[in-house]
Amino acid sequence: MVSTLAEFIRDRAYSAVVSMDEHGRVTAWNPTAEAIFGRRRDDVLGRTVAELIIPERWRAAHREGLRRFLDTGEGPALDQPLEMQALRADGTEFPVEFTISALQDQGQWSFHAFLRDLSAREEADRERERLVEELHRALRGSERRFEAIVGSLGDAITIRDRDHRFVYANPAAVAHLGFDSWEELRDTAPDTIMSDFLVWGEDGREIGMEDIPSVRILRGEEAAPLLIRTVHRATGVERWNLLKAAPLADENGDVEATITIIEDVTEQKRAEQRTAFLARAGAVLASSLDYGQTLRNVAELAVPEVADWCAVDLFDEDGDRRSVAVAHVDPDRLSLAEELRSYQPDQLDPDQGLGRVFRTGEPMLYREVPDAMLVAAAIDERHLELLRAVGLRSALAVPMRLGQRILGALTLVTSESGRLLDEFDVQLAEQVAARAAVAIENSRLYSQRSSIARTLQQSLLPEQLPEIPGYELASVYLPAMEGSLVGGDFYDVWPVGESWMIIIGDVTGKGVEAAALTALVRHTMRTASEFLTSPAELLAQVDRTLKHRPALSVCTALCLRLNEDRATLAVGGHPLPLYLAGESVTKVGGHGPLLGAFTEAAWDDVTLELAAGSTLVAYTDGITDAVDEEHRRFGLDRLCEALRGLGERPAAEVVGCLTGELAEFQTGAHADDTAAIVLHRLRHIDAPESVASRAESGLSGDRRTGVSHGQTH
Amino acid sequence: MVRPTEFKITQRATEGGVSLKITGELDLSTGPALKESVDRLRRGATELTVDLSDLMFMDSTGLRLLIELDQRAKQEHWKLALVRPKYETADAVLRATGADKALPFGEAPNS
Repeated sequence: MVSTLAEFIRDRAYSAVVSMDEHGRVTAWNPTAEAIFGRRRDDVLGRTVAELIIPERWRAAHREGLRRFLDTGEGPALDQPLEMQALRADGTEFPVEFTISALQDQGQWSFHAFLRDLSAREEADRERERLVEELHRALRGSERRFEAIVGSLGDAITIRDRDHRFVYANPAAVAHLGFDSWEELRDTAPDTIMSDFLVWGEDGREIGMEDIPSVRILRGEEAAPLLIRTVHRATGVERWNLLKAAPLADENGDVEATITIIEDVTEQKRAEQRTAFLARAGAVLASSLDYGQTLRNVAELAVPEVADWCAVDLFDEDGDRRSVAVAHVDPDRLSLAEELRSYQPDQLDPDQGLGRVFRTGEPMLYREVPDAMLVAAAIDERHLELLRAVGLRSALAVPMRLGQRILGALTLVTSESGRLLDEFDVQLAEQVAARAAVAIENSRLYSQRSSIARTLQQSLLPEQLPEIPGYELASVYLPAMEGSLVGGDFYDVWPVGESWMIIIGDVTGKGVEAAALTALVRHTMRTASEFLTSPAELLAQVDRTLKHRPALSVCTALCLRLNEDRATLAVGGHPLPLYLAGESVTKVGGHGPLLGAFTEAAWDDVTLELAAGSTLVAYTDGITDAVDEEHRRFGLDRLCEALRGLGERPAAEVVGCLTGELAEFQTGAHADDTAAIVLHRLRHIDAPESVASRAESGLSGDRRTGVSHGQTH
Repeated sequence: MVRPTEFKITQRATEGGVSLKITGELDLSTGPALKESVDRLRRGATELTVDLSDLMFMDSTGLRLLIELDQRAKQEHWKLALVRPKYETADAVLRATGADKALPFGEAPNS
């Protein structure tokens, strides 16, 4: 499942994706990687990442880092953006930015690097430096030449005097600061301009006038370039800017003005965020197979990085919505979403909102949500109040698509962050939605599969126990807690001629596999019981059958043949049954080896007379292994005490007593399957008197070791 | 869930290879950790001792793991040596399933 998701991400990744195994060998190489490294996927699979893309001087460190991670689990280089030189096929080096994530699946580590070619960015940096140099020359030269160069620059350039007033701004700067003309900008107070924007630093801290590089220079401080995120209050446009400032000195060397280059790094910054975000998305989505949890993971993934609210809706084939998850940075605000949902019809309108997304498969972007739109959409006053309380600024919905099928939609809403969503967000949301669709489908298939396995397992139990003359039978089966992969307790009762066969056992395995094994064991027992009378031989037959299977298939079983008042039983790796007579509780039978496990194995039959008014309890270790909140085991002693004196009671009452004690002991759900079968011999007035001698002759074919009542417990 | 004794695998070198001492409980939740430790070790060692003397509990998945180890050792031609648990709760499972006789249990190295 993880691998399907990984392949999906790889093939659609915006970045180059290179995966390797524990030996450093390439296991995946997406088309982007082919392009930036100049090597085709078929030529690199199985070769080491070190020889392919890592310059020789760093190979040893790479191998050492890998070894250290595998030995100690320490991976300081994991999950964070790093920059390094990488090698192309032609031997040239180029700068890359990358993030490596490690995933573990079935005990094996794999490593996934998301890489981005930085050479284009460095090229741009060099070009900019050249222009700035020219600019400085120009400042010393003619006014006309200065205008020509600066005016044509894409970057915004401003010059401020000692009072922070603009004395020059090129056309890019005028537009960037949200003005229509230079004159307008010139006549506006600097503080007013600043207050048009919400401004944060890279770390999310709010930035004020005093932090701006040009202002710091005028204070006589050194000013390193400052990366800021701005949202224009009026338009909601978000930009990332890198501010670089330098002093302009007069003839005496006094700072007369400052020049600032405002470099728009929005695209780069967003691409960086996207790479990091999608890398994390892959890991988060692959981390759970639980259906509900996956939905919540999907919703939480987008908050607060992409939007303030995120909702996931699933559709069924008719376009009805099925289930949702909503995330918001502030959990208190979630109740708003809950209340709002009650206003949304389950049947979607195919021409609007989500219904339209479902029908057309196209994303919908409401770049700005004006109040009038809320008024039009509101059903009543309270609804409008709620819509306004959310503070909807901008919204978008993208389909979660799997092939031709639309599973649902991902809705993003911005409110208090003030940002307007744009085409870039639509693209990002579509990529997240595509990954989410795979994750949701995987977890849906998984929960379906585990419930199929569970249903299959339960269907293997007899629906109704047969009636055995002179006896009362009762049984209980408590499946392991939901989602647990343990499975496979079983029991069965059937007649063979004049006798009755009773089996109980425990298959070690998972899900469907365990169910298949259970079916095999029961079928083998039922068939073999037609021609083998000895339970020991039946176990031997099952043992041979299990050993023929390609994978290790082991099973515990208790096999009992009941002939009037005489029981013959053999036990393979299973808890011995308990015999209740009067106040005594006795283990009966003898331990034999687990079935399907060992090369040399043999079982012995033990016979037992069941007195009128006695009871035999066969159970699986789910009972004795059950734990309480202090992690004590239920154990055999507790089981014996629970059963003591119940020999005369009806079988159903014994089962009730047992499950009652167990439920009281256990906290939460049981971790393992639990099964028990209770056989009570009724007190008949016409109970046969000396049955022992007659039964003995009737069982001459058994490899019987003699009558045993085991040890008294 | 509270565990009375933390599950722990202590690794140390022995004359012929490596010994893994298991403390705590070997079951569905802790089994994978043992399997991983063995998988990692198996790349070099020629003899592996799994010391269960401090094992307090084992369920059927734990036992299955030991059987798998035994079968792998035979197929891959390395030596597996097991040390019996001193706790009755764990040892009873081995006796009840015949694993005490069928699996390569020897004496504890220091007893």
